[in-house]
Amino acid sequence: MKPKRKNTPATPQKRVEHEKEKKPLLLPVAVVFFLSVWAWTALYYGPVFRIAREFSFWAPDGTLMYFIKGRPWSALCWIGRALLQLYRWPVAGGALTALFVSGSSWLIGYCLRLRGWWRMLQYIPAAVYLWVTAYIGFDLYYETETGMIMGIPFVCFFILSVLALVIHSFSRHHTFPNIVRPPKDELPLQNRLQTLVVLGIVMITVGITHVMRPYVRVVTKMQCQMMEQDWEGMAKTARDHAELSYRQLSAYYTMALVQRGEQCSRLFDIRMDYDEPYMHGFEGLESNGEKYYIMECDLYAGLVQTAIHHAIENMTMNGPSIRTLKLLTKCALLKGEWNVAEKYLGVLQHVPFEDAFVKRYKPMVGNMALVDADPEFKMIRLTEPLRDCFENFLTQPVFLGYNATLMEGRSVNALYNSLAVHIYTKSMPQFMERVAPLAGATPPANISDAVLLMSSKYPQVLKLFPNIEYNRQQLMFFMQSVRPYIKSFEARTEHARELFPKWKGYYPYYYFFGNLKATKRKDATNEESSKHGVN
Amino acid sequence: MKTYKTQGVLLFTLLLLLVSCGKRSYTVPASFTEADSVAPLYPDYTDITIPANIAPLNFSLRESSPTEVVAELTGSQGGKLVTGGGKDLKVIMDSLQWRTLLEQNRGGDIKVVIYAHFPSGWVRYKTHTLTVAREDIDPYLSYRLIEPGYELYRQLGLYQRNLTNFEELPIYENNRTFSDKDNHCVNCHNYQNYSTRRMIFHVRARHGGTVIVEDDKAEKVQIKGDSILTAGVYPSWHPTLPLIAFSTNKTGQAFHMYHPEKIEVIDEASDLLLYNAERNEVSLILNDSTEYETFPCWSPDGRWLYYCTASEPAVPEGVQLPDSIDPDRRRVMFFENFYYDIRRLPFNEKSGTFGSPETVVDCRSRHRSASFPRVSPDGRYLLFAEGDYGQFHIWHRSSDLYVKDLQNDSIYALAAANSEDVDSYHSWSSNGRWIVFSSRRIDGNYTRLFITYFDQKGQARKAFCLPQGDPEHNVLLLKSYNVPELTRDAVRVTEQTLRKCIYDTEGTTATFKKR
Repeated sequence: MKPKRKNTPATPQKRVEHEKEKKPLLLPVAVVFFLSVWAWTALYYGPVFRIAREFSFWAPDGTLMYFIKGRPWSALCWIGRALLQLYRWPVAGGALTALFVSGSSWLIGYCLRLRGWWRMLQYIPAAVYLWVTAYIGFDLYYETETGMIMGIPFVCFFILSVLALVIHSFSRHHTFPNIVRPPKDELPLQNRLQTLVVLGIVMITVGITHVMRPYVRVVTKMQCQMMEQDWEGMAKTARDHAELSYRQLSAYYTMALVQRGEQCSRLFDIRMDYDEPYMHGFEGLESNGEKYYIMECDLYAGLVQTAIHHAIENMTMNGPSIRTLKLLTKCALLKGEWNVAEKYLGVLQHVPFEDAFVKRYKPMVGNMALVDADPEFKMIRLTEPLRDCFENFLTQPVFLGYNATLMEGRSVNALYNSLAVHIYTKSMPQFMERVAPLAGATPPANISDAVLLMSSKYPQVLKLFPNIEYNRQQLMFFMQSVRPYIKSFEARTEHARELFPKWKGYYPYYYFFGNLKATKRKDATNEESSKHGVN
Repeated sequence: MKTYKTQGVLLFTLLLLLVSCGKRSYTVPASFTEADSVAPLYPDYTDITIPANIAPLNFSLRESSPTEVVAELTGSQGGKLVTGGGKDLKVIMDSLQWRTLLEQNRGGDIKVVIYAHFPSGWVRYKTHTLTVAREDIDPYLSYRLIEPGYELYRQLGLYQRNLTNFEELPIYENNRTFSDKDNHCVNCHNYQNYSTRRMIFHVRARHGGTVIVEDDKAEKVQIKGDSILTAGVYPSWHPTLPLIAFSTNKTGQAFHMYHPEKIEVIDEASDLLLYNAERNEVSLILNDSTEYETFPCWSPDGRWLYYCTASEPAVPEGVQLPDSIDPDRRRVMFFENFYYDIRRLPFNEKSGTFGSPETVVDCRSRHRSASFPRVSPDGRYLLFAEGDYGQFHIWHRSSDLYVKDLQNDSIYALAAANSEDVDSYHSWSSNGRWIVFSSRRIDGNYTRLFITYFDQKGQARKAFCLPQGDPEHNVLLLKSYNVPELTRDAVRVTEQTLRKCIYDTEGTTATFKKR
């Protein structure tokens, strides 16, 4: 029998080309997994991790970290918090997380000697970590131990590394499998499927965020923009997601508007019907997450002392955090409390990568002119109270309660804040009482629309604002188009969402269709808290 | 040959490393320029009087450009200590050398010369002096550490510091992690006559009660009853008898929104109680509904009970209040019109009865307000905090330390010890020569402990901050010190015993006895 002739090219160069053609492309799955997790942590979920770092605190000094000592898993928390610092730059922090997550998966495969199809199993822990991280949303860092975010992947990676070394030392096979090349025993189909699995894991993680917690990335992105004092960017981010309706989003949007002096012109550009976020406070108890934003709201409403009150309480309950210390520094500067500002800056100096903040604010210590010249502080100053009063006498939350009862302010911005609170809470008689100082001028859009809306009840108001008559047609058009729904509360609730895209930003829409879930606020004051014991 | 060479290099490197890791020795620079001021030290330890048994006064130099600091301490009665610090400009002294120097100069002076190495060369600051008193301070100091906070609490505790070194041990710490079912606060620790044989403190919220400690045993009691406003609050042990005077206060707080002060703590009502720890009996001492009696304190001989009292704050002339404003709100509105006097009641130890009150410090007529009366161990001086109004002076910048000489009735401020910020809660040492008090002079917010020498002429010296191993400790600590109390000995009861008592017992309710 004639031997079969092999179809082999004659020249070596052609042989190589032929080999390439013949050998299917095998992807290094570990590397693919690393890169996809890195992309998720650094690009997609980067702002969330960055804000998690802001809600956390780590310093090498024992005095500063005393609050962690003695807690369960304190060493793990300490290490985890230290590693989380790298999320100052999500690219760096993300690379480390990706290393821990993908490395742990690879090490599981090595330690358990998984072969062939079984290799799929090594990705289960990583998938669980990523999915849980995405699923819990704000609970990743809100009133929880932030040391776990990096501590858990680190400790898994560390234990598996040690285990792998031990196995390697006592193994007859002295060579580690190559991490950047697929294992020799891997079939092309297995390789492709594994690649699909790891990409699928990351895609599902993205999907969880996108479908179940869409607000988390938006809010944290706004917080990151706030750190850069990109108020315009914050407002734009909120408007780009105007259909999402969460208190956290509204709060940061309003802060941006207040800083831009637009609180009465663009307040209703986003939906305000407040869906419940997935949030839990201490001991996993359900929380509406008010403490997430309240101290910042106080500060940007000009209520510096109230911001200090809430920041200190936050620090008491959660331990220090970078975010709290930065806010306290700003408050101290605004109050001219130089020594305590220096103290907070001194503490922040011990936190890695916070040099820029310290460098920016340190020159302001002892220099009120510099403080007053700062654009952010300048806006806060405009709405500071003129006179002292007690928080206890005001409706909660104080930044709304104070502005609701405001009788005198140091600028038109203070009046705008007060008017914004009244149109937001639909307290129209109080709004009409306060709008008079704007007589003769063309007030901002939301005010004009509210005045016109109320003019049927208070016709004399039109004498004060003759310029707003030109809006009447729009109002009539709006009333005509919503007439079928306006009569019953149920109909308004049912059609609010569908009308929003058409009428967003228009106050009469908000008046009839916005914030319907909110139960009528009881006129309870904070005096209850005055009856609490003294620490 | 090559191996020996390598080994030699390695050994030399190791030795070099060991030497560099060891203590660095500092020498006084030979050439320098003179500065025309004393060194800016943190904490400020310049020109102060100190006890010979105090821990080293470690400090840091608050300058930005020097790279090295050298301190030369020379005793008037002999002895010298030369020490220094590197780039961080922290001077950490050797405890043994420090102790020897202080002992050698008891009753004398130590001259301190500070040199700093600037880029332009060495600079010598003006010399300052540490005066070493003959009298020691009691070696143990108890206090509470808590955030300078408002309503909430989480991790806090009572601690005891050994003043002769830097050892700080918890007497009792509450829950480390948040647990609603266990969350509690501890406060108002007090000892009988500078001894830890008898001690009390309160537990609030979960597991609440008053813990009474006798030697190494702890018992929880519930001091409450229908005729008592709330549980016992500010305590004072009788110096010899098993009696504790308490105030019982219905206390609230109000939060300023635009004011130099941050918080007002205002009593809605307050009375005085006497608790017999042996019989577990409680009775009312004073419960005048028109007066706010608080902060009881026994005289060292046990024959007088001092306390503070105020009447309802006056509504300013011309102010018409609507009927809708209830008394609670009125009290908060006119918080600045609360003026507390110091009064005292004679106490008959045999019959256990009190006589009629007499005013010791009249503040109302001066539109001032006194709190925390404390009588010196020799019975001659009454130390108290005086501010513009109110009683919770830890939140009042106007608060300063004052004394009344009970022999000649003169009242004066301890000007050298006071600061522009809050100077408040204070306690005497058992020999009456030292006063430990709380002050917010460092940053205006976080209370720190200061020690001042009280001389035989009844004057205080410049106060100094409680020394710490790391001089920057007070910058980094984000908690406030509360209620400093000096004792001669260390607390005998263990934390475990206290925890068991607090968690495992409900506490027996005191019997109410009518007077």
